[in-house]
Amino acid sequence: MKSELAQVKEVYGKTLVEAGDRNKDIFVVEADLMKASGSAPFKEKFPDRHINVGVAEQNLVGVAAGIAATGRIPFACTMANFMAKRACDQVAMSVAYNKFNVKLVGCYAGLTQEKNGGTHVSIIDLAVMRALPNMKVVAPADCVEFAQAVMAVSQDVAPTYLRMAKLLPESIFEKDYQFEIGKEHEIGKGKDLTLVSTGLATSIALEALPELARENIDARLVHLPTLKPVDREIIVNSAKNTGAIITIEDHSIHGGLGGLVAEIVTSEYPVLVRRLGLNDTFGLTANLGFQLEYFGLTVENIISTAKQMIKNK
Amino acid sequence: MPEELQKIAKKIRITTFTAISEAGGGHFGGSLSIAEILSVLYFKVMRIDPDKPEDENRDHFILSKGHGGPALYTAMALRGYFPVSELKDLDKPLTRFPKHIDRLKLKGIEASTGPLGQGLSIACGMAISLKQLSRDNYVYILLGDGECDSGQVWEAAMTAAKYNLDNIIAIIDRNNCQIDGNCDEVMPTAPLAEKFSSFGWNVLQANGHDTTSLLTALDTAKRTKGKPSVIVAATVKGYGVSFMENRYEWHSGKISPEQYKIALADLEEKG
Repeated sequence: MKSELAQVKEVYGKTLVEAGDRNKDIFVVEADLMKASGSAPFKEKFPDRHINVGVAEQNLVGVAAGIAATGRIPFACTMANFMAKRACDQVAMSVAYNKFNVKLVGCYAGLTQEKNGGTHVSIIDLAVMRALPNMKVVAPADCVEFAQAVMAVSQDVAPTYLRMAKLLPESIFEKDYQFEIGKEHEIGKGKDLTLVSTGLATSIALEALPELARENIDARLVHLPTLKPVDREIIVNSAKNTGAIITIEDHSIHGGLGGLVAEIVTSEYPVLVRRLGLNDTFGLTANLGFQLEYFGLTVENIISTAKQMIKNK
Repeated sequence: MPEELQKIAKKIRITTFTAISEAGGGHFGGSLSIAEILSVLYFKVMRIDPDKPEDENRDHFILSKGHGGPALYTAMALRGYFPVSELKDLDKPLTRFPKHIDRLKLKGIEASTGPLGQGLSIACGMAISLKQLSRDNYVYILLGDGECDSGQVWEAAMTAAKYNLDNIIAIIDRNNCQIDGNCDEVMPTAPLAEKFSSFGWNVLQANGHDTTSLLTALDTAKRTKGKPSVIVAATVKGYGVSFMENRYEWHSGKISPEQYKIALADLEEKG
């Protein structure tokens, strides 16, 4: 991965303050991980709208649900791994089943946990959240898109999971690109192959495009910042126009982005899909670069996978 | 007034019992134990208007022990939220009245509950938000005593104390029965009063079947400022039905036609 990476928490804190300035109903709820989420600037500016429940993720989600029950807009944050697993039933029942307008923010998501290791790496958060009725799921690819997503979900009325990597590139898209919930982002019109990616993995997929061209593979990229509600049509059209899809995610290949794309194409336009990500394994203790290499989330692996698929087409 | 509330409680119990029986069985025990509590809240203490279930000035009520739904529906129907005749739809397919309450199906239900232990956190969030708006609404919450096995209850208890949520008044249906046995055997939570007290709560005790006792405790709770209040209400699971009283086996179940007759006679006489 060649992109320079920035700390997303700084973007989160700054954007929350902007959102909180505009809307006095926005609350922030923490579970002793404000240092990781970066919400301290919000606490400084709006102390009576910043709640910290201590190391109690289930309570975190329930308290946020209660705040939403009064018509306010809570952003509840903890590590993605804890949000999706420790607080799973509270997310499902207190938030999704009740359809409370809670914004669940899973920080240090995916492989960006780095040296915190396998106990902390979130490999199923997208799968869990995507499977929950009423839940929207958003995974931005860079800091600019992340800030836009925070603002967009604050104005939307729905239970929403916002995946927040610890590190993301500053900006990888065109200047005029604007995030919207449910709007996917297609780059190029390649006819041989489609790369579908989300979150951090999109910058790797983007780097792979010119390299694939050098190998005479005419690929397009579909970045899915919204995994739910997903734009099914863009995936089906990619399947029709290219006949082969590679999905790339820093997440398990079961149930997340790869699962989503496979579900769509198998039911609507079956083509070969290869899924790059963690294959039935937990994360590990290593820096991001090492983990991306280890789990095959590299330009080189995308190219070799692509070549194989084209050969077998 | 307490006598009137006592009569309403009896009516809640008989109507609830009939509705559960006609639905083919259900959670008799924990519905029969909360009739006085609901009577006092819905007919005296809470600031509510059945015609405006979403009025921003209303007091909020969370039934954290969501399986007590049938009793809550009855109290709401008698209070005028909807016709009592609709209670026949309890547990029917696609009903507005599932045994575990669902806020998306019925106006006036503040939070859908069922999986235990989650209500007090929601109450904390409501109370925090209301306080931040300087509003004077109260958040009432009814928990089961078996429910207090759940760790989340205590996470929320700490939160309510930390944020001085004196606009929360919790009531515990202390019937000492849970699904697998008596609470003392399955998981001893006693002494509940001391536990809540040490968690920073104002703790009150009441006879959960005596409306005067409940009213007194609720009045004291409302006058207590700076900390949340909890009323440990001593109740009898299956109250009013001779063969159900204090029998954990009647957490839920089905009854025979003979049992139905005995139970109704019991309820008319005592309940």
